[in-house]
Amino acid sequence: MIECRNVSKTFIQKGSQEVPVLDDVSIDVQANEFVVILGPGQSGKSTLLRIIAGLETPTTGSVILDGEPVTGPGADRGLVFQGYMLFPWKTVLGNVEMGPKLCGLPKDECRDIAMHYIDLVGLKGFEKHYPHQLSGGMKQRVGIARAYANKPRVMLLDEPFGQLDAQTRIFMEQETERIWQTDRRTVIFVTNNTDEALFLADRIVTIEGKLPGRVQRTYTVDLPRPRDLTGKRFLEMRREIIDASVLTL
Amino acid sequence: MSQEATCTAASSSIANETVGQVVDHGPLSLVRILTNRWFLHTVSIVAFFWTWDWLAGSNVLGGGSSALARPHEVLEQLVVLAREELAELTLWGHVWASTRRVVTGFSIAAAIAVPLGLFMALNRYVNAIVKPLFDLLKPMPPISWISISILWFGIGETSKVFIIVLGTFVPCLLNAYNGVRLVEPELYDVVRMLGGKRRDEILHVCFPASFPAIFAGLQISLSIAWTCVLAAELVSARSGLGYIIVQGMNLSQPAMVIGGMAVIAAAAWGTTLLVTALERKLCPWKRKIAGL
Repeated sequence: MIECRNVSKTFIQKGSQEVPVLDDVSIDVQANEFVVILGPGQSGKSTLLRIIAGLETPTTGSVILDGEPVTGPGADRGLVFQGYMLFPWKTVLGNVEMGPKLCGLPKDECRDIAMHYIDLVGLKGFEKHYPHQLSGGMKQRVGIARAYANKPRVMLLDEPFGQLDAQTRIFMEQETERIWQTDRRTVIFVTNNTDEALFLADRIVTIEGKLPGRVQRTYTVDLPRPRDLTGKRFLEMRREIIDASVLTL
Repeated sequence: MSQEATCTAASSSIANETVGQVVDHGPLSLVRILTNRWFLHTVSIVAFFWTWDWLAGSNVLGGGSSALARPHEVLEQLVVLAREELAELTLWGHVWASTRRVVTGFSIAAAIAVPLGLFMALNRYVNAIVKPLFDLLKPMPPISWISISILWFGIGETSKVFIIVLGTFVPCLLNAYNGVRLVEPELYDVVRMLGGKRRDEILHVCFPASFPAIFAGLQISLSIAWTCVLAAELVSARSGLGYIIVQGMNLSQPAMVIGGMAVIAAAAWGTTLLVTALERKLCPWKRKIAGL
């Protein structure tokens, strides 16, 4: 379970100008829950994810993971980056087994874990490929497998499909759901896409569109999975979320 | 399939000229033969040698036969040099003399400058100490050191190697330094999120990410090394390809001068190929990215 308690973040720009990015954000995420943080660009949602990851420290407030405060980056949280951030000098296998290796597991075990997750994300047969030989969707599959390979307590995904075309994006959302159903984890998924949020989330937390980012509302999505992107209830909720976010812009 | 379609649709675009991967499986025609890449290569090479031979034969450049040797004369001169000794060495001996100087100087410079460049990028104290000295040295052309190095080390091997070390040090260091500085910073985040420490960031991100830049520096250094060895040999030497060129000049034998120039080009090209081969071996990921 993850708690963000009154997290605020202010960046200091050149010339000591203060830029408030997050203001008093509190979010609770239950074990194995899929929470989507939905907000427009420049709303501080990626910063919130980086704070949970431990890559940034909050100016005030704290993040508690299973009762212990987060003080820095660590292998108990898996982060999937918007820009894939694969190691171009490593093969698919090399990228995915990096985490277990850095955590000091024996070589054979690293390989087995990596092969398991490469298989899970549907990249069996591509272990020896280098990232530049893969399409965008396949690269992000590697990114997901790499984050999964450390068996993290929480998966953090930062607009993972933002660089993909619309069709591939929908396909990857379906894949994300399949992978999550197979290997259940707590997930915090950041996006600016309402459809993506509604398709994947147990719960959606919307962030206001102006800096500093504040929690606007929380929506519980209780539609049966897999969801129909054109179903009646789906479209109603979509309308509700879009209306609410447009008003604040 | 879609790529081929766009290529034919936009065949007049400059992008296709530079990409050069358009494969057209149309029927053979005169135009296609005339515009074939290899045909054009042959035409330009033949035209070059023909023009050279004509210029040399017709004395356009004046001065009779001593101004410009004809291609076959250069070839004959090289055969003579390969068989007969000049200053107690055949052509191969001179090639080896120059190559040995280049390889020695280049290796010394690379062995010091590359690690130093990496250290400068990784540690700001090392950076603060080394950088001002380096900036002082950087704009000085290495050839300006020739006279002082002869005063210090005499006209033997040391002074020539010294010039090469000075000349190749700068690009080796700069490229290693910039290679680390230009690493995508989020890659460090990846390592730390996967459970790595600072040591892992350096080992798994800094070093591999700076490899292509280091090799670019080595390639630049190598061509500078050849320039330096030639300059040093022109000033004072009893062996080497620069010595052959000077001898050709003193003996009024243009064939010998041009022959020496051609052999230098071939030797420099050979060493470049070696570094390229090493790079391909060590960075298999880079080749396809650069589209080489």
